[in-house]
Amino acid sequence: MEILSHDILIIGGGLAGLRAAIEAKKVGRDVAILSKVHPLRSHSVAAQGGINAALGNAPAPMKDTWENHAFDTIKGSDYLADQDAVEVMCQEGIGRVIEMEHWGTLFSRTEDGKIAQRPFGGAGFPRTCYAADRTGHNLLHALYEQVTGFQIPVYEEWYALSLMIEDGKCIGILALHFFEGRIISIQAKAVILATGGYGRIYLRSTNAVINTGSGCFLAYHAGVPLEDMEFVQFHPTSLYGTNILITEGARGEGGYLINVKGERFMERYAPHLMELGPRDIVARAIQTEINEGRGFEGEFAHLDLRHLGRDKILDRLPGIRQIALDFAGLDPILKPIPIQPAQHYSMGGIPTNVDGETPLPGLFAAGECACISVHGANRLGGNSLLETVVFGARVGRKAAQKAEAEKERPKQPCFQEGVRAFQSQLKEIFERKEGPPCFQLRDEMKSLMTYQVGIFRKESDLQMAKEKIKELKRRLHHVGMKQKGLAFNYEFIQYWELEGMLHLAEVIVEGALAREESRGSHFRIDYPHRDDEHWLCHTLASKTPEGVKLDYKKVMITSYSPEERAY
Amino acid sequence: MRSTLLTLKIRRFHKEKDPPHWRETFQVGIRKGMNLLEALLRIQDKQDGTLAFRYSCRGAVCGSCAMRVNGKDVLACRTHVEDLLDKYILIEPLPLYPVIRDLIVDMSTFFNHYRRIEPYLHGNPVSPQTEHTMGENERKEIDPYIQCILCGICFGSCPAFGKDPQFLGPAMLAKAYRFLADPRDKRNEEILKSMNDPKGVWGCKTVFNCVKVCPKEVPPTHAIVKMRGRILRYRISHLFSQFISLFRS
Repeated sequence: MEILSHDILIIGGGLAGLRAAIEAKKVGRDVAILSKVHPLRSHSVAAQGGINAALGNAPAPMKDTWENHAFDTIKGSDYLADQDAVEVMCQEGIGRVIEMEHWGTLFSRTEDGKIAQRPFGGAGFPRTCYAADRTGHNLLHALYEQVTGFQIPVYEEWYALSLMIEDGKCIGILALHFFEGRIISIQAKAVILATGGYGRIYLRSTNAVINTGSGCFLAYHAGVPLEDMEFVQFHPTSLYGTNILITEGARGEGGYLINVKGERFMERYAPHLMELGPRDIVARAIQTEINEGRGFEGEFAHLDLRHLGRDKILDRLPGIRQIALDFAGLDPILKPIPIQPAQHYSMGGIPTNVDGETPLPGLFAAGECACISVHGANRLGGNSLLETVVFGARVGRKAAQKAEAEKERPKQPCFQEGVRAFQSQLKEIFERKEGPPCFQLRDEMKSLMTYQVGIFRKESDLQMAKEKIKELKRRLHHVGMKQKGLAFNYEFIQYWELEGMLHLAEVIVEGALAREESRGSHFRIDYPHRDDEHWLCHTLASKTPEGVKLDYKKVMITSYSPEERAY
Repeated sequence: MRSTLLTLKIRRFHKEKDPPHWRETFQVGIRKGMNLLEALLRIQDKQDGTLAFRYSCRGAVCGSCAMRVNGKDVLACRTHVEDLLDKYILIEPLPLYPVIRDLIVDMSTFFNHYRRIEPYLHGNPVSPQTEHTMGENERKEIDPYIQCILCGICFGSCPAFGKDPQFLGPAMLAKAYRFLADPRDKRNEEILKSMNDPKGVWGCKTVFNCVKVCPKEVPPTHAIVKMRGRILRYRISHLFSQFISLFRS
């Protein structure tokens, strides 16, 4: 049996994973990254608008502070965020953003040569630092360059199949070398999950094709509960047709949302902040306009940038223009962009403390797959990139400390057992006669999630979704495959990931069904108001043989007591 | 109504098969606005789960899905199938790289060259509390080169790389220039010295293929020409100072 060993193994090579790797490496730990794609192909690369930090570089009547940033974030979260974690993020974020600049990120600049900042949704100050509209690309390349400098090894195009647990502790993983079809055990004193979101369980999503939520399922399957999974962010503006992200920065720079009657309809939903309301409110506004017959072709609204003028569009939003040209065949200098809301981000995930520790010793998490929770029921634009670098660094540091305190352990017999169990499971799958094709189940799940577990939810839809997912899970066990090896077996990968996605879908549905209130991104038309008396709490969903078991835990409130949320 | 069936011929490779190379024809139904990556994913889903290719963002920012379509090197996600209807379509892996399986190529040479240029900012010291100050003009000089997504298309079209795999290649020379032009990086002379080499800026044949094929409009040849100019100026001033010191002695 092939066994590799590292102090720290990080699953996922996006911003959170790379940032964690650097921090652990800096203190001398033996760290490796495993990713199903080359790190530069991670979905972080697609982030556009920017990263929040209260630098106070943009002209404003008052100086911005991290406390303002914390308040905006907590209010934006509809008071579900853990306020101690938000404070850590907003306070440490300033240093982390400056560090990214020192590592070569090419931020856009103010007239006096400082990092430029733009207004973003739900924020009281122009606080979002940006590199034109390619901030994720710039940050990811800068971090990968650092990882290259530190000579941190990366297992590229390998999959993590399962977590290895012994005596209630995570001691490594089983991995698949996809090109060679080999199963390899990797032992580690600390495993960090940084696998990003699960957007691809939805039909309409801004996410990359690779975003299947595999890390969340690895943890869930190993007995770690998932937190607040019913809070799914729908981005207001995805390109109609492909659902590629059109950054909030487009509205930050002054873009208008327009319905078929030519109205700037946001004045009915967020009269003060207008297009720069928080994402949950703007997404619902757009969907309402479409549902009530004021959309275009019954499907989309317009994002109009024409009044910004050619120079500003070319300077600040060149990536958006390119996307519109490439994928919609139109130039936003001359025509409005057709947009519709689409799944974008997961506020929920693997529960962690501010150091990325999960309830399972030896297992850590950071980035979108984690729930610290700094976003609560609704994330503000510009806070996800911030979360990756702040908590990526913290989890790297904590995992390094834990790994150092750990004694060398002998090779674990549990790996052998794990490999045997996996192989017998594989044998069963490969012996099945050909059943329904995997893609069909996947596509049914995606439609179901978009149309019945989307922006507007209600009990009857959710009940139906619950039944349908049960049925899909049953049918999945009859899926057979033509290929009987593991190397380049896309059928197998799709099957393996779909199983996890169906479980995540189930957790989302159960959480949404139980939560009889509307808060942030979770909107129940049958319970349209926030109910702090009963529901100011985090959901925890555990995997049991009988299905999903729900528990709840308190929200950490430091100094901001819940108020009505108006914009 | 126009035919909505797209016919694709794909060059396959599987080293354990006999013969390892073959061409296979697939037909796929298309919808309005569909791109080539979607068509390939559909084939992988519905017709052949063994068809191997890379993908991730489907929005032309991650650089995964570079391949050759009718002799042109492109990102599949950025290629509209409607433009390919009624044509004979041949899809091949990127040229000049060893093929691993079907449309997946081995990019280890590409990333080895990346590491050779030490592609990380060697920053001038600055207080940890503040950013470097940098003018918008300085940023704009670097900006075109920072758009590179390392998709590898430029290497495939580069005759110099085709002739000598040790040639650093367009993407890496553009990246070297990106650090040279960055006022925050302290390596000026060091970068020019390492680029002053037949495997560096002097290996380029200035045919501008890389500029033409880049899906992100990065102009590597411009960077190469700029670095050549700086090296020549440096040589002349060096010669001049040697001449002066000879004259003085």
